[in-house]
Formats: sequence, C-alpha cells, structure tokens
Amino acid sequence: MAVYKRTYRGYSGPLTNPLWRFTVLQRYAFQAVFKSRLLLIGYVGCFFGPILLLCLLYLNQNASVLALVGQQVGFLKVDSSLFLNFISWQGLLAGILTAFVGPSLVAPDLTNGALSVYLSRPFNRSEYILGKGMVLGSLIASITLLPGLLVFAVQSSLVGFTWFTDNFYLGVGTLLSCLILMAVFMLLGLAMSAFVRWKIVAGALILGVFAAGKGFGAVINNVMETGNGYFLDLQYLLSTVAGGLLHKTPENDPISPWAAAVALLVFCTMLLALINRKLRVCEVAG
Amino acid sequence: MTAPVIELDNLRVKIGKREILRGLNLELRGKTVGLLGPNGAGKSTLINTLLGFWKPAEGTARVLGYDVRTDARKIRANIGFMPESDSFIGNMPAISFVRMAAELSGLPPDAALERAHEALFYVGLGEARYRVLGAYSLGMRQMAKLAQAIVHGPKLVILDEPTNGLDPQARIRMIKLIQEMRALGTMHLVICSHLLRDIEETCEEAVILKAGQVVHYSNLEEERSSNRRFVELETEGDDGTFADAIERLGCACAITGPGKIKTVLPEGIEVRDIYRLAADRDVQLRRLNFRRDSLEDIFLKAMEK
Repeated sequence: MAVYKRTYRGYSGPLTNPLWRFTVLQRYAFQAVFKSRLLLIGYVGCFFGPILLLCLLYLNQNASVLALVGQQVGFLKVDSSLFLNFISWQGLLAGILTAFVGPSLVAPDLTNGALSVYLSRPFNRSEYILGKGMVLGSLIASITLLPGLLVFAVQSSLVGFTWFTDNFYLGVGTLLSCLILMAVFMLLGLAMSAFVRWKIVAGALILGVFAAGKGFGAVINNVMETGNGYFLDLQYLLSTVAGGLLHKTPENDPISPWAAAVALLVFCTMLLALINRKLRVCEVAG
Repeated sequence: MTAPVIELDNLRVKIGKREILRGLNLELRGKTVGLLGPNGAGKSTLINTLLGFWKPAEGTARVLGYDVRTDARKIRANIGFMPESDSFIGNMPAISFVRMAAELSGLPPDAALERAHEALFYVGLGEARYRVLGAYSLGMRQMAKLAQAIVHGPKLVILDEPTNGLDPQARIRMIKLIQEMRALGTMHLVICSHLLRDIEETCEEAVILKAGQVVHYSNLEEERSSNRRFVELETEGDDGTFADAIERLGCACAITGPGKIKTVLPEGIEVRDIYRLAADRDVQLRRLNFRRDSLEDIFLKAMEK
C-alpha cells in the first residue's frame, strides 16, 4: 500500500524470532553511539595497539627484515607477560570507552520514560538489559577479545603448531580474561547509566569507581597494614584474575586469583541488583 | 455473543502490603471501553496488571483470552500501549522510533519501516516523520505515541489519557482519530481518562473505578438508544394548549416552566410530528433536545456510592 493513502490495516505477516529480538535495541543503540565523531575516532584509535603488536609479531619472525636493523629472530618474547600487558592496556581503553558509551545507553530511556514503550511489548527487562549491554559488550569485545585471539592465532601461525599446543593456555586465558572484562564493564556501564541520569556525571562515576576503589583500597592497606584493601581496587582484581588465567601470578600476592574472582562476582551481582532495581521502578506505566 | 476482550474474576492486586485492586469482576466485550475514576482509583494499576507488570494476588485477569499470569508475553504481542507520560527518545526521528517499536513487537525490519511510515501518516505526522521527537510539540508527541501503539497491528490498544495536555484543536484531532479507529473495527480500544467528555465521545462502554473497586458499569451505547426518545422542548407563542396537543398525539408530557415541556415519544411518533404540530399551531420551537443522563451524572452518582 502506498503510504500516502491514509488508512490503517492490521499486520498478519511473519514475525522475527523472539530469541534474537534484543539485537533490535543493540542495532539502534549502535546508530546513536556512532553519531559522535569523537567517539568514532577514539574507537578506531583503540585498534592502534593491536595492529602495532601484530606488526611486531610478524617482524619478530622475519629474519631478513630484522637483519636490516641488527636484530635477531625472537627479539620479542611472546609469553604470558606480553598477553597480560596487552589485555591490561586494551582493558584500560575499554574502561575509557565504557565511560563514554555507557551513560548514553540507559539514562536517556529513563529520562524520557521510554521503558514503558519497550516493555509493554513482547520484550522483557532481561532482554532490555541484554540488548543494551551487548552494545558495550560487542564494542569491548572488538578491542580486547578479538584482537587478543587474533594475536594468539597470528603468533601460532607464524611460529608453528608446537607453539600453539605449548601455549594453548594463553589463548584460553585471553578468552576468559576478556570475557570477564566485558561482563564487568558492561554491567558497570549499565548500572551507572541507570543510577545517574546525567551522562557526564555517569561517565565520571564509571571512571571514579576505578579511581575511588584504588584510593580507598590503598588507604585501607596503609592504615590497617593489610592487603584487604585490594578487594576495592577493581583494576587490581581484574588484573589478578587475568594473571591467574595466564599463569602469571606474582609471588606474595596478597589476593589470590580465586579470591579476586569471587570479589568480582560479588561486585557484578551488586551491579546487576542495582540495574534490576532501577529498571523495575520505571518499568510500570504511568 | 463476541468473546470478552477483558475478563476480570475477583482480581486483587497488592503493591507491597497495600491492596490496590479489590476484587474486580468484569467482562468487557465492546470495541471501545472507557476506564474512569478519580486519582488513586486503581486505573493505572489495572493497566499495569493487564500488561503483566503486576501479578494478581488473587483472582484472574484474562486479556483476549490469555491469562496475565502465564501468558504476559502473548498479551503484550497483541496489545498496543500508549502511556500517559512522555515516552520517547528525544534525539531519535519519529520514523526510527516507531520502526523500532514495530521491530520490538516482532516485525521484520522492512515491514516495520513500511508500517512506521503508514502509522505516522495515519496519525497525521507524515510530513514531520523525519524530525527528531525532541523537537515535536506536545500534541505531536501524543500522536507519535499513538503511532507506536498501533504500528504492529494490535488487537487491543490501551490509551492512557490520550488527550492529556492537548490544546482544543489537538484534542479534537485525537478524538476524531480514536473515533476513526473505532469505526475501522479491526481493534479494541481501552481508553483510560479522567475527562468524561473524551470517554463519552469515543466509548461504547464505561467502567468507573473507585478505591480499587468497580462502582459502575455503563453501556453507553444502550443508554444512548434507550433515552433517545426523551425530549425537552422550549417554546414561544404557546397559549398553554401545545402540551395538550402533544398529549393527544399519544406522548407522556410534563410542563416544567413557562414554555418548557418535557415529553417522551412513544413508538410511531417521530420528532417531525412535533414540528408539524408546532407549525399547525403557529408555535415557535426555540429549543429541542434529547435528554439523557450524561456521563457526568453517571460518574457523580457513582462517586456518591
């Protein structure tokens, strides 16, 4: 029917699979996120590190090029330290990205009361959280998980199958570390966006969670002469868990990777409860 | 008899420890149902319960045959909801907003886009459909909310205070649109409003809630037809015998003041007979109107209960 003919008709066509309906929100949220050129430039900039590392890995195995600069094959040691540093650096960028993208996800919906429009459809709160969370999740995955696995794959292909089997734990560790990073940042971004409706404040709060946790943790450690303050240091917890997964745990570490993982789990549960509470209030109409 | 659109059987809903809906029993079958009541009567809670946001503490509620406890998703798939409060995404063009709403209801992207265009044209926002919602006037936002409620072709549309905050012209547009939607006959409408005139102009049935209970159910269509032969007249130049002449036609008649007559027209007597009689007797009819209980009378009586 031509749209200029002003009439109304019912709909009896096919429907999409309800399981994937959360991707609708993700798609529209992506369009909104990438309207900002600054963010787009920042996002592209996040790939600079991985590209540089991939180039170094290639050069690391290229004897003829290395001979020109007086280096030998294997000048770069590809081990758990390299992967841990890579994840830490990309994790830092993911944190900054979360601070920019996270606040624009839920806060506008709460401010404009859009939740009752979403949730009065065959679409529930969990799907809403998943849809919005996947925006952050996919962005973070694209700058941490995918490059991390690509680095592992490229190194395996350059060095050979033996390296792959000997260092398989690095691939698994990278995968799990990045998934944990994704989950934590995703929930943190959503929770702060739901908690504070002003985007700038929410963004500052996301970065503040890292800074304040680190600061309070250091104060507790110094005043009480204990290592328990590290439980408040989100960056430390993430790094400890990643270190454990990559078999790179420092000696005399005050917190074990398992304890750090439990602390992160508790933190994520608290964030989830906060999101649930904030959205539950706004779910109902009028 | 058509199947009920909404069935409530001893429906009780508690929010916290407070009982908001107290044993509602109702069967609504009409195409357009008005939900009336003062603030705090439980209208919004009833809507939220029908949408599956609140679970009944006791009793059952069924919408289009689906139980709100177990089939909330199916109910929402068949419902379009226009919330009372502002519900939009300010920096999104209307076309994207309505399309997204359609996609969330399960329409494939292409079909959703086509229907979003149609829905926006239907509510009169065709020319403004690419403007961001934040730049819309209040009246336009109300229309955009209506467009998102009907875009997926729901069987039941719930309109919560559809004319809220509208200027008289915008209100008339909205009322006309609701009347058009009723005339289409493809969907049922539940209109929740505190403006009795809106309900009177658009609905076939009205339910009045007070303190979480149904205090009155009124079939407005039946009332309109049952009272349509009750006539009030105001005359000029009557020498006092016009009422007698009307009675001789077979009408029950009462004089309520100088030149004021109330009469009930029996079967076989039409208004034209009154006009003819007045012309024969050289009596001027200054006013003639069908009198019935207005919804306001009904509402006020219900509130006294």
